[in-house]
Amino acid sequence: MKDLLVSPKEITKDLVVDEDSSFGYFLSDSFEEKKSSLHFLVKEGKNLSLTLVDFTKSDLDIDFVIDLEENSKATLQIASIDSGNFTKIFHGNVNHNGIASTSLTKMAGINSSTGTLRFLGSSYIKNGAHKSSTRQEAKITNLSPDAKSECSPALLIKENDVKASHGAALGAYDPEMLFYLMSRGISLEESKKLITFGSLLPIIESLEDKDLVSKIKDSLGGLIL
Amino acid sequence: MNTLTIENISVEAEGNSILEDCSLKVNEGDCIALLGPNGHGKSTLLNAIMGSPRYKVTKGKISLNGEDILPLDASERSKKGIFMAFQNPPDVPGVVTMDFYRAAMNAHEEKPISLLRFYTAINKAYDEVGLDSSMASRHLNEGYSGGEKKRNEILQMLLLKPKIALLDEIDSGLDVDALNEIGNLIKKLHEEGTTFLIVSHYDKLYDMVEVNRTAVVVNGRIAKESDGQLAKRISREGYSFLEKEYGIKLEKKEKKPSDVSIGVCAVRQPLPPQGK
Repeated sequence: MKDLLVSPKEITKDLVVDEDSSFGYFLSDSFEEKKSSLHFLVKEGKNLSLTLVDFTKSDLDIDFVIDLEENSKATLQIASIDSGNFTKIFHGNVNHNGIASTSLTKMAGINSSTGTLRFLGSSYIKNGAHKSSTRQEAKITNLSPDAKSECSPALLIKENDVKASHGAALGAYDPEMLFYLMSRGISLEESKKLITFGSLLPIIESLEDKDLVSKIKDSLGGLIL
Repeated sequence: MNTLTIENISVEAEGNSILEDCSLKVNEGDCIALLGPNGHGKSTLLNAIMGSPRYKVTKGKISLNGEDILPLDASERSKKGIFMAFQNPPDVPGVVTMDFYRAAMNAHEEKPISLLRFYTAINKAYDEVGLDSSMASRHLNEGYSGGEKKRNEILQMLLLKPKIALLDEIDSGLDVDALNEIGNLIKKLHEEGTTFLIVSHYDKLYDMVEVNRTAVVVNGRIAKESDGQLAKRISREGYSFLEKEYGIKLEKKEKKPSDVSIGVCAVRQPLPPQGK
């Protein structure tokens, strides 16, 4: 198992995954590259786990392309906070080229200002990739009425005998969740804080460097509340 | 004295009138069976008392010990000592159960609870409801079975020790052993001073906790009140005798069709000719 954690000025551009691999990217203020394109080719029977946590205060346009061969598997997770008047765009494109390939894409974001946050991408199950399965999830919580956000997880299916699903959620806080927490005495502000952290934490916690996870969690509150 | 008074309230949800001129007085020490046919307003009444923003009280008053609680939000009502066990508690992904318990307990304390007291309390509560305390590190309600969710609601009630507890079908979906355990815990809290308003469709729970009063919600109002025996009779005979003996006619609630939109979320394209 290859395990790499980077806080890069430049992200790897092109990679062949020929052994089970896990990559974690934490983009802090030092990240300078506005537009990046990353391509991963996951070889037959191999697993790729990819996590990106973005706390940058700048425009971003990152394009992930993952090509899956037969029996390979990929998990792509993205957590992003847009806390300024920035434009951040993330594409998560997974191509199922081989039989019985599996993918899960999860994107969670907080848009707390007047900026633009877009989660785009598609899962493409190509002709011949039967018995493949894919799931795309995208969720953005807007904390400001001026926030501009978009979630568009798409499915392109050109084969039978496959499993494919997608879900998108965009908006303010779930009123049912807020009511539940508040019914236990937790104030509106504290409830929002718990839910906001909660939407990003599962992705942040999947980073394998626990010291970094702890530092990210500590800095989270200051960024969005 | 902890007295909850509901006076002539009317409640709407999403533009539909659900409760109309509904009144009920809950006295300290009561253990009330709140019954009624499906869709007549039992859960709405509990949610209105707890302060769900989904339900709008358009008329009337709800007061606790004489204080109007309608201007208070749900967290403030909770701090006044009102608790609701949800029929379907929502999953809250990402919120760790232990953090949630701590935030809830701290909200009811003047200063933050000590770690020792916190861990002692949650371990005891987990033990009492028959759940593994390792669940505290999981996300709130996420991946819990139906029974685990119900036990988790009771666990929170044990931690917060409310003055008035509203239980919304806390027994639905529980096996016999779980029902017995939860019934005993409710009885214990009642003996320790908590007042209960309990919605259930089954008399087994009512028997166990020894309800002293029954209130029946029909057509959006409390149509009949009596002692605990009425709950047993309804369990045996249903609601039809209410019309014959008391002239309470069940009106059919007709729901307006909701606004729907139909869209396409994926496009299937024709496959290219084979071999190309």
